[in-house]
Amino acid sequence: MIAPSVSPAPAPAPGAARARPGGVFLAIYRLVLRNQVTTGRIVAVAALGLLGVLLGFGLAASDPVDPVDAGTNLIDRYGLQVLVPVVALVFASSTLGDLVDDRTLVYLWLRPVPRVTVAAAAALAAFTVCLPAVTVPLVLSALLTGAGSALVGGTAVAAAVGVAGYVGMFTALGIRFRRALVWGLAYILLWEGFVANASRTASRLSLRAYTRSVVSEYTGIGLDQANLSLAVAIAVPLLVAAVMVLLTARRLASADID
Amino acid sequence: MTEPMIEVDGVSKWFGDVVAVSEVSFTVGAGVTALLGPNGAGKSTMLRLLCGLVAPDRGRLRVLGRDPRVDLDVLRHIGLVPQQETVFESQDALEFVRLAAVLHGVDGPDAAARSALATVELDPDDRRRLSTYSRGMRQRVKVAQAIVGNPTVIVLDEPLTGLDPRQRRHMTELFHAFGDQGRCVIVSSHVLEEVERFGSNVLVIAQGRLAAEGDFRAIRDLMDDRPHRLRIRTDQPHRVAGHLLAAGTIMGIEMVDADTVLVETTEVAAFRRSVAAVARQVDAHLWEVVPLDDDLDSVFRYLVGRP
Repeated sequence: MIAPSVSPAPAPAPGAARARPGGVFLAIYRLVLRNQVTTGRIVAVAALGLLGVLLGFGLAASDPVDPVDAGTNLIDRYGLQVLVPVVALVFASSTLGDLVDDRTLVYLWLRPVPRVTVAAAAALAAFTVCLPAVTVPLVLSALLTGAGSALVGGTAVAAAVGVAGYVGMFTALGIRFRRALVWGLAYILLWEGFVANASRTASRLSLRAYTRSVVSEYTGIGLDQANLSLAVAIAVPLLVAAVMVLLTARRLASADID
Repeated sequence: MTEPMIEVDGVSKWFGDVVAVSEVSFTVGAGVTALLGPNGAGKSTMLRLLCGLVAPDRGRLRVLGRDPRVDLDVLRHIGLVPQQETVFESQDALEFVRLAAVLHGVDGPDAAARSALATVELDPDDRRRLSTYSRGMRQRVKVAQAIVGNPTVIVLDEPLTGLDPRQRRHMTELFHAFGDQGRCVIVSSHVLEEVERFGSNVLVIAQGRLAAEGDFRAIRDLMDDRPHRLRIRTDQPHRVAGHLLAAGTIMGIEMVDADTVLVETTEVAAFRRSVAAVARQVDAHLWEVVPLDDDLDSVFRYLVGRP
């Protein structure tokens, strides 16, 4: 039998060849994007989005006395309290969490690639999916309420910064916990739903306070916990996203890889 | 021994209360080395330690002189075939291996991926998703992604699982070819027949500890407390065995049939020197002298304490 033909062994000269950062980032981004978009998730998210649109339609049909107030509360209660965090949780927790669960993370980890590149590419992939998944139905819902351009603009901005913050947080959660969905739901329901309402300080540790503030600033309608300036309300979730990406990278570097 | 490429010094690793690897020290140079041990002995943990996938709780570990846990650059020179079957199911083979090439910074990743797939006898133009691949095909794709970066150190965890006999032979030859090129190839297995094909250089792990390292035949020779068993076929088995026993060269006899006797000795070298002389002395025809327990299976059973 003929011996297999193989390339000669390279001299061990670490650092001689470098991966192109842009190419590496894009390769990981594409992989994660493709992996996280499953039929089940798309159906679930589409159903949630459709429900938001139907709620907007229903509100308009009920002919409210103050469409701006009613529309703002609808966007707050369904869009910012449910749709944005849940959609972000579903996708972001799976970006790296799925790779941990099916033990394929090793194929990204055992490469000469900075961990922050992996974390940032994963978070951006989740952001790419989540942004249209929540912004489109919520903006449509805001339009249907007939509350005007202030609510539409506020909804779009609040959804975008909310997605950024939640995606960063839940990407980190996905690499930290095996049952990230459960932990994420606990954060959304228990922390943001109850604990954050208990005190002003606790509310500052809740992303919901920031997204609510954005909508409130745009429409002028007062909402619970919505007492932050527009600049702060936009900047903090983005900062949270950045910090969480760094924490994800740190976790990637220190975790045992299966 | 060639220059060490892997140095493991007093390494221990535990998961909670379970000690997976305990105070293990060894060095490995170029060539093929088999990591041998029963299921649950700590082989996979050892391989994960070598690749930096887990950090040792104690001890020091270096690959090409550097710590694979913290030094990203050294990962460029390590290729791993992990034990798990899972791969990126939505990709085809070329995409999967090409991704590995891109992440390794290989120039011309497409050509490199095609070459690696051809090396493991897979069709680079097969556009089927990996989820449709058989176990053996997945195994070969995993080998392709491990070698696409042209690594100096190749770590293979049970790489022959699921392969048919022809592919097993091909892979074994491939690993030997890598070893002959001066690469460090570590192959784990719990199947002794596989390990014997990888060569005679072994690391034996039992219950998280390094039970032995080196050429398994030399290891057997060093196990003085275990008598060697040999089969002698001669036309006068009683007389030959009797003389050897009288001379103190052997310590036990078991007659098998009219021309065959099994003997036990702790003095293999003395036995080898004297058996022919004894046969001449008693005018016997010596037809066969066969060691029965210097194969890997026997060494393994001794080392891991199996009957």
